[in-house]
Amino acid sequence: MRHVFTFAVAPILLLVVGCAKAPTDKLAAAEQAVTEARTAGAADYMAEDFAKIEGMLANAKTEIAQQNDKVAVLRDYEKAEQFLVAAQTESARVMGEVGKKKEEMKAAAIQAHRDAQAAVKTAQQLVAKAPVGKDRAALEAIKADVRGLNASLTEVAAALEAGDYKAAQSKAKAIQDKSHSVSAEIQSALAKTGAAKGQKSALAKKK
Amino acid sequence: MSLTTTVRAALSIVAMTWWLVAGLSACVQNAPPELLQAVEALDRQLVEVQGAEFAPEEYARFVDRWVAVKGRLLAEEDVIHWPWEADPLVTDLHELQEDGRRAAATAAQRKEAKRLEAQARLSVMEQRLRVFDGLIDQMGSRVVLGQRPIETEVLVSQARSLLEQGLYARSLRAVQEASRLLEVQSALLNAELGRYADASKVEMWRRMAQRTVEWSRAHGAAAIVVSKADRLLTLYRNGRRAVSYPVRLGFNGVLEKRYQGDGATPEGQYWVIKKRDRGQTQFYRALLLDYPNSEDRRRFQLARTAGAIPAESFIGGQIEIHGKEDMFLSQTLGCVMLDNREIDAVFEATAVGTPVTIVGAMNVTNAVALALAGIERVGEDQDAEGADVQDVVEASAVEGS
Repeated sequence: MRHVFTFAVAPILLLVVGCAKAPTDKLAAAEQAVTEARTAGAADYMAEDFAKIEGMLANAKTEIAQQNDKVAVLRDYEKAEQFLVAAQTESARVMGEVGKKKEEMKAAAIQAHRDAQAAVKTAQQLVAKAPVGKDRAALEAIKADVRGLNASLTEVAAALEAGDYKAAQSKAKAIQDKSHSVSAEIQSALAKTGAAKGQKSALAKKK
Repeated sequence: MSLTTTVRAALSIVAMTWWLVAGLSACVQNAPPELLQAVEALDRQLVEVQGAEFAPEEYARFVDRWVAVKGRLLAEEDVIHWPWEADPLVTDLHELQEDGRRAAATAAQRKEAKRLEAQARLSVMEQRLRVFDGLIDQMGSRVVLGQRPIETEVLVSQARSLLEQGLYARSLRAVQEASRLLEVQSALLNAELGRYADASKVEMWRRMAQRTVEWSRAHGAAAIVVSKADRLLTLYRNGRRAVSYPVRLGFNGVLEKRYQGDGATPEGQYWVIKKRDRGQTQFYRALLLDYPNSEDRRRFQLARTAGAIPAESFIGGQIEIHGKEDMFLSQTLGCVMLDNREIDAVFEATAVGTPVTIVGAMNVTNAVALALAGIERVGEDQDAEGADVQDVVEASAVEGS
């Protein structure tokens, strides 16, 4: 009876109790976490951290493959599990930080958009008051510029909508700067016209 | 076995055990902290030089190994080894350090090359835009281009901002888009104004002007020729040039007039049909022309039928050669405008029935044709400078390697 236990039951027990199972659930969870981090923009906003997470996942997969190649009783997935847990934990951390970074960038881009809108509006109001000076071509060009600046605002809105805050912010800043230039140009023309009108009315009074 | 022997044996066992433990303890060691710090520093350096972007393969290899080594450190593997064996963890850390150095050097070099390329291409683009702007102002054709010039300027300004933020690839894309927009504008200018560089068209204009001068000679009377490209009105008396004055045209003056409100000044052979003296015009003194004449009407109908102009458009009229009511508030929508002193001279020299011929240009080397050629050269220079930029980038890559 003892021999039966030694040679038949014990190995079976050993196989049943001792065989480690590949951590497929943990792998799936880690992969899901990494995908979510990528979707959240980790590859763009925290590229280096995200590369490390991908490294952890790759190491886990390599480790699982190596263990799978071993005889069943000798398989040990503990190290792979450590990588998977670390990948999942890091993904969660990075997602939190990416969210924060994106929110900061979004807020800055929205502010830049508002500033640009205000600058364009000022330019539009000034164009309405602009003197039809002797250079009508210049006035028409300025009008076209203001229309162009206003049209470009839609590109900022589209970039904001698409979550491309870097593009939105840089475009908004460029529009704001150009709008200020245009406004300054009109104000200068207005000042000249005002001075001329003043001069003319002074002359008229003298007559 | 005697007591002494037993004691000796016991002492020997104790001694051996002590040596074994001592020996093993000597081999139980953590990775050298300075080596770990060096690798960690490289890791930080790689983040700074954007290793993931500029040396993705090298960085991925470094990260994979670094993560694996960290895993081993955490699992406390490889900490015991025989004294005569090299510590595999230390060996791996050394190799990792080398990998990291190579990856950091590669990333830094590629990042610098990208910066140089973005900087150089943006500078070329900014210069090209300045020249282009100068040329379209020279032609007085900015209005023809509508919103495109400002859109191009915004893109170039955006490219500068992206460059300053270290977003080189994005900056390059913005420059590329700006370049495409400039090409669109260049094509548009060629389509609208290419006739100024067309020798046969210029020859036709010359013949029109010549006929007017002949008429002046034959009738012993005054005649006027206006060259839009030169912005010049020439008064002829008895077939001889009497005087020339600079003029202003409509806000879209270089274009051929197609419909009311387009700001273009018409081209053709006209007659003065009415003289409007002070009090009869808002433009000081004016000579009303017979625009639209039959040829203008024919062109207008053709354009409307072809859908080249808005269906609801009108042909317009009231085209004059006039002065200006107010130095600052004067304007013209398609007429020919002179300073008041000069309209006085022209007004006095002409009569109802004086022929007025308005042409695009009198020679192929006119201002518009020259500006168009300049715009074409700007494009060619851009290609040449693009090649130079590539040389600079390649040279920097060779230097860095």
